[in-house]
Amino acid sequence: MIVCVAVVGHQNNPLYIQSFTDADDALKLHHIVHCSLDVIEERVNNPKKSGTTLNEAFLGLLYPTVNYKVYGYLTNTKVKFILVTTDLDVRDTDVRSFFRKFHAAYVDAVSNPFHVPGKKITSRTFAQTVSNIVGSYGLN
Amino acid sequence: MEEYPEELRTPPVSLVALFGYSELHASITKYLHSQQPPINALAFPDFSHISLLLAHDDQISRTSSFRDPLSVADSSSPIPSRCGGILKRDWLLKHRTKVPALVAAFFPSHHIFGDPTQWLQVCSDLDSLKSVIRPKNIKLVVVVVQSSPHEEISEDRLVALRKRAELDSKYVLFFNSSIDSELTHSLSRHLALAYYREEGRRIKSRVEKKSSNSLDFNVRYCFKVAVYAEFRRDWGEALKFYEDAYHSLHEMIGTSTRLPAIQRLVEIKIIAEQLHFKISTLLLHGGKLIEAVTWFHQHKASYEKVVGSTDFIFLHWDWMSRQFLVFAELLETSSATGQSFSSSNQGSAEISLTEFEFYPAYYYQLAAHYLKDKKSALELLLSMSEIAQEIDTSSASITPSVYVGQFAQLLEKGETLTLHSITDEEYIRYTISEAKRFQDSLEIIAWLKRSYESFTNLKARRMAALCAFELAREYFDSADPSNAKFFFDISANLYRQEGWVTLLWEVLGYLRECSRNLGALKDFVEFSLEMVALPVTSYDNSGNLRNKNYGPGGPATISGRESIHQEVFTLVCREAEPLSSTEGSGFKLATDSPLHLDIDLVSPLRPVLLASVAFHEQMIKPCTLCSFTLSLLSHLPLPVEIDHLEVQFNQSTCNFVIRNSQRPLWASASNTVKSGSQVENEPSLVLVPNNWLRLTYAINSEQSGKLECLSVLAKLGPLFTICSRAESPAAMEELPVWKHENSVESLPTKDPVLAVFGQKATQIDEPEPQVDVSLGASGPALVGEDFTMPIVVTSKGHAVYSGELKINLVDVGGGGLFSPREAEPFSLESHHVEICGIDGAEGNDESESETGGIKKIQQSFGLVSVPDLKEGESWSCKLEIKWHRPKPVMLFVSLGYLPHGSEANTQKLHIHKSLQIEGKMPLLISNRFMLPYRRDHLLLNRIKPAPDSEDMSSLPLNEKSVLVVSAKNCSEIALELVSMSIEFDDELGETSCLIQQGSGCGDSPSSANLAPGEEFKKVFTVIPTTRTPKLGLGSVHLKWRRQGGNITEAYVSTKHKLPEVNVEASPLVMSLNSPPYAILGEPFTYAVRICNQTQLLQEAKFALADAQSFVLSGSHSNTVSVLPKSEHVLSYKLVPLTCGEQQLPKITVTSARYSAEFQPSAVASSVFVFPSVPQAEKANSTTK
Repeated sequence: MIVCVAVVGHQNNPLYIQSFTDADDALKLHHIVHCSLDVIEERVNNPKKSGTTLNEAFLGLLYPTVNYKVYGYLTNTKVKFILVTTDLDVRDTDVRSFFRKFHAAYVDAVSNPFHVPGKKITSRTFAQTVSNIVGSYGLN
Repeated sequence: MEEYPEELRTPPVSLVALFGYSELHASITKYLHSQQPPINALAFPDFSHISLLLAHDDQISRTSSFRDPLSVADSSSPIPSRCGGILKRDWLLKHRTKVPALVAAFFPSHHIFGDPTQWLQVCSDLDSLKSVIRPKNIKLVVVVVQSSPHEEISEDRLVALRKRAELDSKYVLFFNSSIDSELTHSLSRHLALAYYREEGRRIKSRVEKKSSNSLDFNVRYCFKVAVYAEFRRDWGEALKFYEDAYHSLHEMIGTSTRLPAIQRLVEIKIIAEQLHFKISTLLLHGGKLIEAVTWFHQHKASYEKVVGSTDFIFLHWDWMSRQFLVFAELLETSSATGQSFSSSNQGSAEISLTEFEFYPAYYYQLAAHYLKDKKSALELLLSMSEIAQEIDTSSASITPSVYVGQFAQLLEKGETLTLHSITDEEYIRYTISEAKRFQDSLEIIAWLKRSYESFTNLKARRMAALCAFELAREYFDSADPSNAKFFFDISANLYRQEGWVTLLWEVLGYLRECSRNLGALKDFVEFSLEMVALPVTSYDNSGNLRNKNYGPGGPATISGRESIHQEVFTLVCREAEPLSSTEGSGFKLATDSPLHLDIDLVSPLRPVLLASVAFHEQMIKPCTLCSFTLSLLSHLPLPVEIDHLEVQFNQSTCNFVIRNSQRPLWASASNTVKSGSQVENEPSLVLVPNNWLRLTYAINSEQSGKLECLSVLAKLGPLFTICSRAESPAAMEELPVWKHENSVESLPTKDPVLAVFGQKATQIDEPEPQVDVSLGASGPALVGEDFTMPIVVTSKGHAVYSGELKINLVDVGGGGLFSPREAEPFSLESHHVEICGIDGAEGNDESESETGGIKKIQQSFGLVSVPDLKEGESWSCKLEIKWHRPKPVMLFVSLGYLPHGSEANTQKLHIHKSLQIEGKMPLLISNRFMLPYRRDHLLLNRIKPAPDSEDMSSLPLNEKSVLVVSAKNCSEIALELVSMSIEFDDELGETSCLIQQGSGCGDSPSSANLAPGEEFKKVFTVIPTTRTPKLGLGSVHLKWRRQGGNITEAYVSTKHKLPEVNVEASPLVMSLNSPPYAILGEPFTYAVRICNQTQLLQEAKFALADAQSFVLSGSHSNTVSVLPKSEHVLSYKLVPLTCGEQQLPKITVTSARYSAEFQPSAVASSVFVFPSVPQAEKANSTTK
């Protein structure tokens, strides 16, 4: 189950962060998302050391923490998407397709002429689309 | 990791027992220790101590429920249905300290080969030794100690010895008194290892035969095989069997029924932990970092869900935390950590590993996390059950039992101590009492600190910030607010920087509580205001405020902001009435303690009060009013009323106050604003959230210069002031936490131009100067002369007090005034153009000296003080500038003065004047050498020039040559040339050369007037008297001055250095003799003399070319020999055929000795032919 998704701007500032749990652990998830930026930074700065090739936007598993796994995705404009899930067995393809849909939704949201780049995303349509994507995650 | 016994933490060490010959023991033991791997030795001085070998020193006798596993294992009795435990606690230790792999019995050789009684003693010793070690399969080695290597050996006795000891020859060694490496080598390598190999094989066969259906035994056997393999350094097999043991153990979960449920699981987990530890250590020491991390993953995954009793879940968290901690420590100490883990990082294992999983910091953090879980679970348990609370340390008689992971009660029955198994309840009581003694938070803090430091070193700032936050929270919980504040600050800084508002809110909430606990009111107010001004826009208030997930700041909502806002403002804006304390806030406040907050450009409190100021004009005249807009913005959630505002400028006289007329006037006036300064009244000064409060006033300043608004001070209540640094709208930076918000942005001023380009500073002009400075001359200046520049200061309305004239010379063309090339002759001075002097004004010298007379002159800078002048007066001075080079120069003159006497506060007025002056070369001097008329010298240097004398002219020795010096006026000014002379530079020149004025001495004019472009020539004769390749002829000295100028003006002397010449003696001189003129048709004689000036016979070949204008008689070509110091004359008769200037027939002489050819010059060999005899007067004048 996806518990949290986030869009982080290129200055590592949160642009959109939404948790999908009933429990009041939003703060914990914020911490997890924030820490995952360190991993992204390290992967981007030392692509050789971490052994990943940054030919694609999908960064893969960023790090596992207590009960969660964190996945990342880096767009060409250095905007990061972060996904936190509680699933133990995660199929890479599921996560990839999730990020693809999420990216499309993000592009739609920032293409809004009234959206100022670098500002938080407050579009309700975007929030709705994201919750639909999160809902359909792992079903196919 | 330190909790583990040493024998578990370190690789096993083989053990050897030594008997007899105790004097050798020390050296052998030492040698065995130094082996790689080291071997421990048990030394028994003689065979009477055999009984001590393998003796049990356990004081605890076992009850029936605990059976010795070794005796079980070794007995051939049927497999028992159940055993007491899986692993015995002291089994590893026993093999390290008690059970040797090998017993070495030392016998002196004379005991064996000598006296039969001694031989019998040897036999009995061997028998008793054998009886002890045989059941254990311990190897025996007999060492025969020889006193000398050539000692006689009786073969019979040796065979008998082998038979007695039941050993083959390999196990009987001979040994000299010195340490033989072969001996110890065989002791260590073959013999000791043989024991472990055989033992390992024996137990392995049991595992393979599956002789035991019990998993317990399987685990134990696998463990033992692995340990034996470790003894042999067979890491691969050790690893394999440890893993087997681990997997078998895992199968036991849920199947084993031996112990009460809780203890059963505890035992399994503890053994799993030990096995895991062994496996991880082996993997890490083998450099298999990825495998180790993957293994840890599997370990964690397989036991994560094995929680056991949920009531006592703290046991599980404790265990989990220990796993992470131990692995972190292992990773940290392992050398493999530094290695790159890039190889086959992802893809090979189904679990992909990430960067952090290779850092110990990650595990430390998680260890702390689980320990925190344990702590809270324990606290919950203690608060829930009263029984748990009552438990104290009374149940101390429970100790770890003989089996790993089991606990038993120690009962004392008379002399003996017995161990009894205990129930789960007793066990839980025991663990709770133990856990109560344990200081979890110290551990958590220590691990988090390690993690924090390590993440900081790894530059993982966000991870470090999280660790700092957790660390601070732990400090906070353990009531250590100062440490907590330190670490909260660390994480707050990062969250602030990156705009993570919810996280920042949380941290600030804690920080606020810390400052409250520390009694730091200012910090408390600052943190509260920062929280209040955060862009928290969530209305969602569904979260329970008392939810433990929130920090003391509560959930980040608008209502939260509002309540904190109210709390802090009731605290700081209290009335001046004596209040001993404010309810609820926890602060004791003295009534007269004012609170002042400074907000600078980097302060996180900028959103609280943002002051933007703009002058409407960029330049204003002094003493005129200028509009000035002050805009204030606050992001506080509720409106704030300001009592008064103080605007502060760099010119303190401009400071002014804006007062809220609705508020009472506070008695305490401000320090920065003088009484009597401008006070504005506003009907209301209310800062509405997110709306600019715009105030426009007119201000004026009398002082010229920069007027800049520095800060705006807002007073809220009698004791609370906020001072915000003023910012220009043009240079205003966005608020770091607000800039990502989607709020509507309004401009600080209504005028959009001002909002974009407005500046917080303006320039106030100087008042118009009413004094005139004139520069009385213009160029061009001539190089060498003292160029005089009159400067006149005339007062036209202003009196001049303490005036100062600054003079600057600046190079126009670039290249600087300061770059003389050293090689050049004129550059004795360091400047091409310099100020030579300033003549004070006529008649004002006295007053100048009275006023102190600042008069500084440097080469390109001068400073002159101007005497005080009344209105209408004037003063002048003369500036003398000298050019050493033709160069255009900019002259800047600036006068600074005070218009109103010596008042301290008035400003100096300045007048600037500048003038470009050209520097020009006055005269161009050139020179030319001419050889004597119709005398040609064979100058060898001219024919074959030396390589370094390209342009050097050559002069014949002791011959009169002519030097023509010409000076051309190349300026635009008529010059008067006074004299021209040649002077030698040194004494040497005078002796080696004779220079005379031109022939007609004295008849050349003493002075000449040169119009622009005119040329003056003067002829000198030069007779070199010394033969030298470089003769300095001195330099031409020219004295001149401007024509028509002042008669008293000094002459300017210009020097021109003449080039050096080459002087040589000519071996042959050819001179032509012909009349000065010829008459058409009349013959004349043309003689060519070839003069030999050497002591040698010279052969000269000559050739005469025909000329069209003459009829010639005489030989055309021939070779003649000229005797030394004599001359040969070639004589020709010529009849001219044409009138006018005619070229005589050209003669070419070739010297055979020098193979050099020379001709007279064309000018010298021409003659004028008259048509008829000229009249005498005419002839006279032409010859002149």
